[in-house]
Amino acid sequence: MHVTQNAAELCSLLVDEFHGELPSRIYSTLLMRGKSSIQQLCQYTLMTPRQLRHGLAVLHQFNLLFNQVEDNGMTLYEANPDHTYNLVRAGRILEMVETSFGPAGKDVMQSLFTSGQTRISDLVTAYQGKSGRANGLSKQFDDEDDEDNKANGMNGAPSQSKKLEGPVKSTAELNSILCRLVEAELIDVVHRRTFISPEGILKAVDKEVTDKFFPNGVKGGKGKIEHKQHIGEALRSIRGESKSLKRKLEQNGPAAKRRKLFANGISSNGFSNGVHDDEVDPALDAKQVVRINYEKCLVDLRNRRLVQFVTELIGDITAYVYGVLLHLLTKRIPRCRLDATMDLDQDGQETDQQGPVFVTTAELLDQLKTSIDLSQGLGKTSAQDIATKAAEKISEHPPKPKLWIEETEVDGEASEDESDDDNESDTGYDADYKPAVNGTRVKFADGVAPKEQRLDRTGQLRQHLLLLSNSAQGFVRHCGHDEWTVDFAPLMKVLREAELDSTIERTSGRDGMRLVRILRDKGKLDEKALHSIALMRKPDVQKKMTEMLKAGFVHVQEVPRDNKADVKKSIFLWFCDTDMSFKKITDNCYRAMVRCIQTLEVLRQNEQEVLMLTRRTDVKGREKDVMREEYYERYARFQDNERKLFAQVMRLDDLVALLRDF
Amino acid sequence: MADDEAAKVDATDKVDANDEADKGDKVKLLKDMLYEAVCQHGSDSRLFTQKDLVDLGVVPANDPILLLSLIQGLTDDKLLVASTGPTGICWRWRNREEAKKYTSLPNDETAMVYSVIDEAGADGIWNRTIKNRLNMHEAVVKNCIKYLETKGYIASMKNVEHPNKKMYIKANLAPSERATGGPWFTDGELDTAFIEELKRLVFEYIKTKSAYLGSQGGHRGDAASNVRAPKRGIIKGSGDSNGTRGNKRAATDMSMDEGANGKEASPVVAPRQRGGKVFLPLPAGYKKYPTVAEIARFINIEGITNNTTLSVPDVQQLVDVLYYDGLIEPVRVGARRGYRVTRPTRQSTVSFQPGMGLEVDMLGPEPRGNGLTEVPCGRCPVFELCGEGGPVSPSNCVYFVKWLDLEDAVEGAAKPTLIAAP
Ligand code: SF4
Repeated sequence: MHVTQNAAELCSLLVDEFHGELPSRIYSTLLMRGKSSIQQLCQYTLMTPRQLRHGLAVLHQFNLLFNQVEDNGMTLYEANPDHTYNLVRAGRILEMVETSFGPAGKDVMQSLFTSGQTRISDLVTAYQGKSGRANGLSKQFDDEDDEDNKANGMNGAPSQSKKLEGPVKSTAELNSILCRLVEAELIDVVHRRTFISPEGILKAVDKEVTDKFFPNGVKGGKGKIEHKQHIGEALRSIRGESKSLKRKLEQNGPAAKRRKLFANGISSNGFSNGVHDDEVDPALDAKQVVRINYEKCLVDLRNRRLVQFVTELIGDITAYVYGVLLHLLTKRIPRCRLDATMDLDQDGQETDQQGPVFVTTAELLDQLKTSIDLSQGLGKTSAQDIATKAAEKISEHPPKPKLWIEETEVDGEASEDESDDDNESDTGYDADYKPAVNGTRVKFADGVAPKEQRLDRTGQLRQHLLLLSNSAQGFVRHCGHDEWTVDFAPLMKVLREAELDSTIERTSGRDGMRLVRILRDKGKLDEKALHSIALMRKPDVQKKMTEMLKAGFVHVQEVPRDNKADVKKSIFLWFCDTDMSFKKITDNCYRAMVRCIQTLEVLRQNEQEVLMLTRRTDVKGREKDVMREEYYERYARFQDNERKLFAQVMRLDDLVALLRDF
Repeated sequence: MADDEAAKVDATDKVDANDEADKGDKVKLLKDMLYEAVCQHGSDSRLFTQKDLVDLGVVPANDPILLLSLIQGLTDDKLLVASTGPTGICWRWRNREEAKKYTSLPNDETAMVYSVIDEAGADGIWNRTIKNRLNMHEAVVKNCIKYLETKGYIASMKNVEHPNKKMYIKANLAPSERATGGPWFTDGELDTAFIEELKRLVFEYIKTKSAYLGSQGGHRGDAASNVRAPKRGIIKGSGDSNGTRGNKRAATDMSMDEGANGKEASPVVAPRQRGGKVFLPLPAGYKKYPTVAEIARFINIEGITNNTTLSVPDVQQLVDVLYYDGLIEPVRVGARRGYRVTRPTRQSTVSFQPGMGLEVDMLGPEPRGNGLTEVPCGRCPVFELCGEGGPVSPSNCVYFVKWLDLEDAVEGAAKPTLIAAP
């Protein structure tokens, strides 16, 4: 993560919001000053070492710091902005875990969020002693969820925070959920190098490798390549350490079949039926310390995002199919972005660690819910059209999904006719209003249709897949006969641009977007070319371009005509630097998030007296009954706004995630 | 003027007469023959080389000296124009009427100005260029132009590429496409209303031809699921609609582990669908996505463009604009390059008719919003200035107050006066 001033401000605010002021002060000092020892921190912050140690411990607990023991035995601390930023994402991750693993899974995940990295035994103890703990943090996440539901018009969802009594019913279930999460790589193990910064690790590994394999120094091109390979390998093995628990599970884990059944049971209907299964799961090593693995969470969040895109661009059934495909495909994808030293060879090719990743049609079919009607969501003509007008065409190309549509070439009158018939068969009750003659025709057509028109389920599934693979965005690549894969890198690039476009469209209008897209397509252009391609008036183009120049969406370059560089004669070329725009937008997002959180703080100040009241133990939990009406209303309104603001921060994060992380 | 002309002709005759009257007649005859022959052999833009002229066989014994004198004579009469072709000097003919115009001009300057304008053809020429090319004094050029204009030989024109330059063109020529800007310009102005209406028509055409108007509900017997508005699953997320579902459900109704529930789907309400209709994408490999040629045919048959015929490149330009607007996308099926509508299920099913005017809302669906465009700061005019301790900051932000609906609650908060509400 590139830490801009806004990002730094955001991180400090987040730490403040979630862990209090003291850690936040230390944290922002670390961000500002870089690596520091306790003594230095003492100087910078004017805190006592005791306070500092306390604050650092909190930060450590939540993995917001790196530390590094120097040769002289001094420990240096360094801020970990990536993980800090992830605090924003907690809500989304919980949401995602809930849909995949049910409320119990979410509950466990939430505990991990609230307690940071945790020894498994501690987690178990916490659950054993737990009854109705309404932690401030967990509450906030729930609020966000509620807000989200509300924003989308789904009212009446029961408030999750009330039923802490126990989505997780037994320690066995807890164990089993943890196993699932570990298997999904959503949580992993803390190991001795977790807290060393990537640069630190690289340095250490570099030294180790050089000492071991190249005692006489690295020489020549070949030596360099080998050196790099060794480093990559060593880094990979360190990275792999965090997956030790998963490997263990896989070793003695019983057949994948059981796991699959179990996972489906939960995900499809949201209830956990795993009582029997629980007993089969091996008990996890109680001494292990686990934490949330954001890398993998991001992969799943990306899947969700992609499904949203497909819903928007194609349709919801296709999106469902896509979701299942992504789910299968990304089981073996540990992170969104590949690391240059670890995952790519010197040609920039992915080092093949796991063989090609693809999903077959048959695999997909096994995973699709039987309740989904795959014949929907795609255009086709109704049965009678095929029976009466397009019969021959169908017989010409029987296996192809191409020729279901006949209406394009038919003249106006006839096609109107068709759409009438269409209504009729679609809505059923229309038949009552139609004369009998028509009725017979419909019947006849219906009788004929199934044989000719209806594809079997595999065929229908393939249609959706083909639609995806033929999309302009390239959502899917048909990589072999009935084998499907996704090329994430180019796909995400397209989608990032699409997101940029809609941002521009929203802020600078469609004209603005048109101009930017022209520039992206054609490269640098002078104004004249621009307005003739865009079919816009010259002054309009000028106005828009200046506006967007200010917003950072386009840039201009002056090309002097001769070496006198007379400005009046110079050519001005417009261009757009998409990556620069991404950075700009991302930074604007950080800033907007900061403003949201600051606004929240302002609201808190304004409603201080009310909030003080709710903090009293005799009021807490029974606000509505105890507080005076006027006060309660203010409190309720505050909560409402708090939810709104947090939801907005999460929506901003959706954008950041897409632009920066996916 | 006529006197002048006559005098000139006389003069040449006299020269001829000085030589030998008989020979003069013969030369005149040959000149006419040569001219006729040249006219017969091509349009007035054809360039004839000397060899071409010899091969016409007009000149007896192919006498080059005679030929040259004939050519000279014709050139003097302005009936032949010399120019340089790829193989050296060439000539093309000029019709007699034009030649007469030349010969009728009072002096050489005017003739030169006229010839420069003549050469510029349908693109016209800027008066400054005339001046520079002929290296004449501005006043002289001005006089000549004035003379030619009053004579009706040339006319001033507007060129869209240089709207501020005074351009001239031969009066009997229509300005070229390049000068008028093609079909998109009316009187030298970009006709945005025309473009806009045409865009709508083309978009409507592509939309209806590249997507299938169907209902999103079930196709078999379960009519119950058809009754519901097709977009609900997407807009409202999963949840409360168990009662109205058929046994087959749309994907969005399910709580899926991949999160197809569209919770984050744009809050923009989909266009109201008439009778539960919605556009659906056509199966992959559909062969009839309209091509530019088809669209051009459609436009010209419909005759919407009153008496301007749009060429295929013109239509391509329009289609490209629709593409850059993100409304359509190219699809290649085999060798055929067609266009289809983007985001079909989000498109309005109310069709656009010519003459409906531009009051109908924006073309295509609303753009998707995102976190940044929704939050007040994303549209804030003082975004860059805002900060703790600055003139504006979250503590006195009016936009957030509005956004959170707190107007009555925070009367006390100082409202920055330097900004107007967005
Ligand atoms: S003035 Fe308000 S809306 Fe504008 S940037 Fe500041 S906080 Fe955001």
